[in-house]
Amino acid sequence: MEFTREIYWNVGHGVVGPMYLFSFAALAVCVWGFCRRLPVYRLGKSLDRLDQLPRRIVGMARNVLAQARVVRGFGPGALHSLFFWGFGLLFIGTLLVMAQADFSQPVLGIVFLKGSFYKLFSLVLDLAGLAALLMLGGLLVRRFVVRPEGLATVRDDYVIHSLLVAIILTGFFAEGVRMAATEIGRNPELARFSPVGLLVGRLLAGMTPDTLALTHKALWWVDFFLAMGFIAAIPFTKLRHIVTTSANYLFADLGPKGAIGTINLEDDSIEQFGAARVTDLAWKDIFDADACTNCKRCQDRCPAHATGKPLSPMQVVKQIGETAFTAPEAGLTAAVGEDALWSCTTCRACQEICPASIEHVNKILEMRRNLTLMEGSFPGDEVRTAVNNVEVNGNPFGLAYAGRGEWAAGLDVAVMEEESDIDILYFVGCYASFDKRNREIARRFISICTAAGIRVGILGKEEKCCGEPVRKLGNEYLYQMTAQENIELIRGYGVKRIVTTCPHCFNTLGRDYRDLGLEVPVEHYTTFINGLIRDSRLTLTPERFEFTYHDSCYLGRYMDIIDEPRQVLAAAGGQLAEMARSGYESFCCSAGGGRILAEEKLGSRINVARVLMAKETGAPLLVSNCPFCLTMFEDGIKTGGCEGELVVKDLAEIVAERIVA
Amino acid sequence: MKILVCIKQVPDMESRFKVNAAGNWYDETDLAWRMNEYDEYAVEQAVQLKEQLGDTPEVTVVSIGPDRVVEALKKALAMGCDRGVHIRDASACARDPWQIASIISAFAGDKDFDVIFTGMQSQDRGSAQVGVVLAEELGRACTTTLVGFEYDNGTIIAKRELEGGLKGVVKLKTPALVTCQLGLNVPRYPTLPNIMKAKKKEVAVIPVADLLKEEALSSTASAYPPLRKGGGVVLEGDLGDVADKLIGILREKAVVRR
Repeated sequence: MEFTREIYWNVGHGVVGPMYLFSFAALAVCVWGFCRRLPVYRLGKSLDRLDQLPRRIVGMARNVLAQARVVRGFGPGALHSLFFWGFGLLFIGTLLVMAQADFSQPVLGIVFLKGSFYKLFSLVLDLAGLAALLMLGGLLVRRFVVRPEGLATVRDDYVIHSLLVAIILTGFFAEGVRMAATEIGRNPELARFSPVGLLVGRLLAGMTPDTLALTHKALWWVDFFLAMGFIAAIPFTKLRHIVTTSANYLFADLGPKGAIGTINLEDDSIEQFGAARVTDLAWKDIFDADACTNCKRCQDRCPAHATGKPLSPMQVVKQIGETAFTAPEAGLTAAVGEDALWSCTTCRACQEICPASIEHVNKILEMRRNLTLMEGSFPGDEVRTAVNNVEVNGNPFGLAYAGRGEWAAGLDVAVMEEESDIDILYFVGCYASFDKRNREIARRFISICTAAGIRVGILGKEEKCCGEPVRKLGNEYLYQMTAQENIELIRGYGVKRIVTTCPHCFNTLGRDYRDLGLEVPVEHYTTFINGLIRDSRLTLTPERFEFTYHDSCYLGRYMDIIDEPRQVLAAAGGQLAEMARSGYESFCCSAGGGRILAEEKLGSRINVARVLMAKETGAPLLVSNCPFCLTMFEDGIKTGGCEGELVVKDLAEIVAERIVA
Repeated sequence: MKILVCIKQVPDMESRFKVNAAGNWYDETDLAWRMNEYDEYAVEQAVQLKEQLGDTPEVTVVSIGPDRVVEALKKALAMGCDRGVHIRDASACARDPWQIASIISAFAGDKDFDVIFTGMQSQDRGSAQVGVVLAEELGRACTTTLVGFEYDNGTIIAKRELEGGLKGVVKLKTPALVTCQLGLNVPRYPTLPNIMKAKKKEVAVIPVADLLKEEALSSTASAYPPLRKGGGVVLEGDLGDVADKLIGILREKAVVRR
């Protein structure tokens, strides 16, 4: 018994000509559709996203073939990935049929779709089609029956769902009809390798051979034209993500996480700072809009969106695309909305989860740069005052810079001006320098270092704000002014190693200052303390306590430091009750992106939302690692009515309480 | 039209002030400097007037003091003034309002400024005299403590803040001098292109000796922080005890019947 089938059975080899003609036509429409979009991408500024090509190709393969980013969104992500693999196998199967029927057999006389391989081929394709159909059904139920909040359903969704269902169904019916006529009953040994086709074929067993032949012909052509319609529709519907999202993995940002373009302020030829129009953004920013699949994962995780503020990272990306395609001269601030732009805490939850490698945060920062540097705008008068304070006194509180080192009075700390023979420079930051609650953290950190025999130096009144909040508000000029002064000081003292207690200072000194010439290694105190414990320089008496832990955005998502603080807290005797949203999925405290300087006037309070999540764990203690978070949670516990049920402490306090003298 | 704005650089009021060695002013170490707040309103109003008149007026900004005052002049230029004049004077802080007004008067005397803006007073000395004395010396119409400013064809309509929350409206013909108060406007934050442009704008330097012809009429004899008098008391503890303590204090310190 031969295990194979006649390709072009019933339809005959005469279809080859028209079939290729229509296929090329569909492909041509597809290519033309994309070519029409190219000039719009080119509206953006140039940007090299084809360097390190091997690394890019590997990344693209991982994300396209293995669906690495997509599959993370378990429910719908898994459905999509399984559908993709199923549909992908069907596509490969079609290519194999084409390779044999139109090339290897007529040209070389080679037939490979036979015997055991054909059995495997039949089984795999049948199961792949079934899997694709089932996944599609799941996605259909989700979109049209469950209707998750925020999932917008548009024309494209109807077109795509009906096309795909129809392609797979007509495929199975065509197969069933063919099997009813040629396999079932005649070659049962082979037929059972096409279980779905067999099932359909049995249903049609009563039909006459003529009817079967006619039905098959009709189904074959319908299936063919649906498939061609699918190819032609790619650039004109959301299906374009097959190409654009895949390409976006290739164009992904390979730089350090969270890096922001440092504007060359010496360049007199720059007339526009930040993005007022799409032409001020990079081409990738416009392309991102085409790569977006409206999956809303970013929107679901946005703390501003969750608390009723007029920001959705997905909408920002879409609005930029819409502007580029419909009104490229229009202002971006008007398209996106100024309140939306100021609502962002730059927490990076959107970008971290995005299955399409879209870069949300820097788009918002570029638009903020335009607002700040070109229009002198602020999200509120309190921010104007704070920014002026940074300019005059080097801290947002407006307190006398001369008092910056006073928190260290009585501690064994070297002030660099007087003594610069030190093990580490502690870059204190504004909050630990001036804010009463956070000054305790600075003092605890020193006591930890002293116990470990580390000689700590501080810049004292010479230190200035690292510039992070103003930079995130778009004020690159003031950022660079303060940064330059800090860098000159640090260099002047020949500092070899810097430790910060603030993740914002940590990111800024450790990554952003590189662009301005600071090369000294910078560490956050959580990893520094973890190292001291690991090297037995610091010994703790573990004392059992229950707690929940908040990953600050700028330590977790931005710097991938998730485990080290947990290790320190475990060494201190902590029993961790994780919040539902932790690690890379952590929910912002509300203070990032310069929002620490702004009042939260829109929607409900983000810090209260987060404090309630902590309370839900049942742990009586919330541990944080960031002065902004600590400040926000102190406030959130009071305004959220959690006093007496929850307290917030910094990791340094927990450690300092357990030092073995 | 020609506009003049007179500004002063002052220490930030949150700074740690110490009395100087001579005991007659503050010591300058550890101070952060900024443009006098009221002068920022003056600069903003001058730039708004310039914009109202289609950018035709030229706005000159002048400041007296040591080299550090150039920073304040740069800020005014970044906000939109056209040219700066730095009257270099290392002892400006020791001069009385009469001398300061006379120096500006000597500078402005032959320049036919149509409108002169000054702050209502400086945040450090707070005499509130320089503006009015300058107007007198130049023979200009003058009104003070502006919280509203309108200009139309040679006439200024100024809204003034008076005692007890009252406002007054004054109409005056140019040339005139006005002094500016909190509430007049919100000083703009300089845009980056304007900061860049300001770096290229001219700042003329005039040694104070060329302009100072007057002796001081007054001198500061002594500077000292106010003596600590009294203070707040926070009563803590049981509500009943706190109430009793409060009644005790009121009986002792104030007249409480029964």
